Amino acid sequence: MTRKLRRAVMYAVLVIASLLSVFPLYFMIVSATNTSAQVLGARLLPGLQLLTNLHALMAQQDLLAALWHSSLNAVSTTVLALIVCAVAGYGFEVYHSRGKDAVMNILLLTMMIPFAATMIPLFRMFSEAGLANSTLAVILPAISTPFLILLFRQSARSFPHEILDAARIDGLGELTIFVRMFIPTMRSTFAAAAVITFMGAWNNFLWPRVILISNSQQTITMLISNFRAGYVIDYGVLMLAVLVASLPTMIIFLILQRSFANGITGAVQ
Amino acid sequence: MKPLTKIAVITVAAALSLTLGACSSNSGSTTTSSSSAGSGNHLTVWAWDPTFNIYAMNEAQKIYAAAHPGFTLDVQEVSWDDIQTKLTTIAQANQLDQLPDIFLVQNNAFQKNVTSYPQLFADMSNAGIDYTQYPKAVVDYSVVDNKNWGLPFDNGAVIAAYRTDVLQQAGYTLADFTDINWSDFLTKAKDVLAKTGKPLLSGQANSSDMMMMMLQSSGASLFDAQGKPAIVGNQALLNTINVYKQMVQAKVYTEVNSWDEYVASFVNGDVAGVINGCWILGSIQTAKDQSGKWDLTDMPALDGVPGATNYSANGGSSWAISASSKNFALAADFLKSTFAGSTQLYDTILPSSGALANWIPAAKSDVYGQPQPFFNNDKIYAKIVDYASKVPSNNTSPYYYEARDAISAAVTQILGGTDETKALQQAQQTVEFAMQ
Repeated sequence: MTRKLRRAVMYAVLVIASLLSVFPLYFMIVSATNTSAQVLGARLLPGLQLLTNLHALMAQQDLLAALWHSSLNAVSTTVLALIVCAVAGYGFEVYHSRGKDAVMNILLLTMMIPFAATMIPLFRMFSEAGLANSTLAVILPAISTPFLILLFRQSARSFPHEILDAARIDGLGELTIFVRMFIPTMRSTFAAAAVITFMGAWNNFLWPRVILISNSQQTITMLISNFRAGYVIDYGVLMLAVLVASLPTMIIFLILQRSFANGITGAVQ
Repeated sequence: MKPLTKIAVITVAAALSLTLGACSSNSGSTTTSSSSAGSGNHLTVWAWDPTFNIYAMNEAQKIYAAAHPGFTLDVQEVSWDDIQTKLTTIAQANQLDQLPDIFLVQNNAFQKNVTSYPQLFADMSNAGIDYTQYPKAVVDYSVVDNKNWGLPFDNGAVIAAYRTDVLQQAGYTLADFTDINWSDFLTKAKDVLAKTGKPLLSGQANSSDMMMMMLQSSGASLFDAQGKPAIVGNQALLNTINVYKQMVQAKVYTEVNSWDEYVASFVNGDVAGVINGCWILGSIQTAKDQSGKWDLTDMPALDGVPGATNYSANGGSSWAISASSKNFALAADFLKSTFAGSTQLYDTILPSSGALANWIPAAKSDVYGQPQPFFNNDKIYAKIVDYASKVPSNNTSPYYYEARDAISAAVTQILGGTDETKALQQAQQTVEFAMQ
C-alpha cells in the first residue's frame, strides 16, 4: 500500500513538473492564434487569429528571406564545424607530438573568454578584410569551437587503437581510416555535435546583428528583435514569429534525440 | 605526418568551397562589405519601428524625390539597442565607413553618445536648420558644447490618459484631473480606488520612468549646472520620491514586473489611467473594446517645488548625420526640407502612424485639430503639441542612464524600508564612481 502511495505521489510530482515545463511552449503556440489584446489578457485557449497573424507577419517582415538566411548560416556552420572539429579532436587523440597537451590546454582556456570581449577586434578584422555584411563573416568565427574539439577528443578516446593499428597494417591511409572507420563509429557524437552547433548557429544573435549591416541579410533572430523595438508590440504576431523560429530546432532535436543522448554520454555504437 | 597534411588540405578545401558556395547564393549583397553609406543621390538610414520612424522616413523620401528626381533612400530596420551596440562597436573598432548617412538616436542617450564617440557625429549647427522652430527642451537633448548634433523628430511629450467611464463612476470628470498637483491627485486617486476598486496608474517596478517624468516637469535634474550628480539634497527629487512612495503604499499605483505586464495592465482594464510619453497612445488603442472611453489631459505638478509645471517628456528621438557620410550636404538638405520644413510630411504621417511633430509650424495644420473617436472625440493631437511646447528643459548629462539606474535602486530600497538619506547617498556615490 505504502509503495502504491509513494508511486502515486511520485507520479503526481512528475506530472506537475512536466506540465510546468511544457506550459511556456503551450502558451507560445496558443498565443500565435490569438490577437494582441487576448495575449495580454493571458488567454489560454486557441483562437482564430492564426491566419491574420501570419498575414501581418509576412506583410511587416520578409519572413521567408530571414528563414533562408538563418538556415544557410546554421547549415553551413554545422557542416564546417563538424569537419573542422572532428579532424581536430581526432588528431589530438590519435597522433602524438610534444606540444599537443599544451595546445589543448590553451584551446580550453579560450573557452573562458566571453564573446563580448573578442567582438570588437573580430569586427575590425572582418571589416578590414572587406567581409562585413557577408554570410562568410557570420559562419567563420563559429566553425571551430573548443567545446566541440573537446567533445570529439573525448569520444575518440573510446575509439579502439587496435583497430587503428590493424587498419594501418592492412595498408589503409590515414584519411581513409578517418572517413571509413572513425566517422561511422562516432555517428552518435556527430549527431550530438550537429544538434549543439545547429542550435547555437540558429539562435546566434549578437554577432550577426553587429556584422550584418544591411537588412537584406537579416536572420530570424534579428527579425524577432525588430518586432520588439516598436512603440506598439503586436504580441500575437510576435508569438507566431517565435513559434516559426523555434520549429526547425525542435524538429532537428526530435529527429536526432536518441543519438544526441548517446553522443553526450559518450557511447559508441 | 604526410597523411595528416592531406586531411588538413582536403578539409580546408572543402570548407572554403562550401562557404564560397554559401556566399555566392547571396550574390550582390555580400559584396557591399564596406561603406554602407550611400553616394550621389542616395542615402542610407538606420531606424527602428516600421509603422512609425521607418514609415515617416519613407514618406519623407517621397516628398523630397518629388522636388529632386532620382533621390533614393535605403532605410534599414535596426532596433535602438542594436544601433547602440553598432555605434559602440564601430567607434571602438574605428571602422567609421560602416556607418549609414543618417541614424536615429534616443534623446536620452544622445549626449552620452556624442560625448563618448564624437567621431561618429557630424555637427549640424550650420546645416541651415532653423532650430528656433522647435521647443527648446527638445533641441537641448542633442546639444553638446553649444553645437547641434541632431534634429528632433519623435515627440515624447507626457500625457495623462484616463478612462472617463471609471472616473465618472467615482463622481469625477477629466477636468478634476487637469492642471492639478500630485497631492490633489493622490486624494482623488484614493477615492477612485475606494469607489471603483481600480488603481489609476501602473508602472514597472525597478524603473524610474515615472519619477524622471515628475522630476523633469519641474525643470529639475539629477545633475547640477556643472554636470555633477545632484542626488543628495535635491528637493525636487525628495518630493518626487515621496509622491511615488505614497502612491505605491496607497495602492493607487500598481507596480508590475515587465513592460508587457505594464501594457497588459491598462489594455485589460486593471488600471484606469496611464501617464507616459505620448507614444504610449498606440498601445492604449490596442484595447479596441475601450474605444471612446479614454481621454487625455496634462500630468499633475509637484507640490512645493519652484518652477513646477504640468508638462514633461519621456523618450523621443532625434536624427543624426554620421561624420563619415560622404553626402553630408544632401543628408542635411533632405532633413531640412522634410522633417524641418514640410507640413505635408507631418500631415501624412500623423493620421496613419500617430507620429507627432516637434516642429512647431506643423501643428498649425488642420490635421492636428481632428477629433479622435477613441479618445472621446477630443482633439488630442492639438493638446499634445501644446503640452510639448511647455515642457521645461532639463540637464540630461552623458551619465543620464547611470543616474536613473541608481535612483531606481535607491527607491526600491526606500520602499523596502531603508533610510531615505542613506539610500540617496549611496546612489550619489554610485553615479560619482561611474563618472570617474
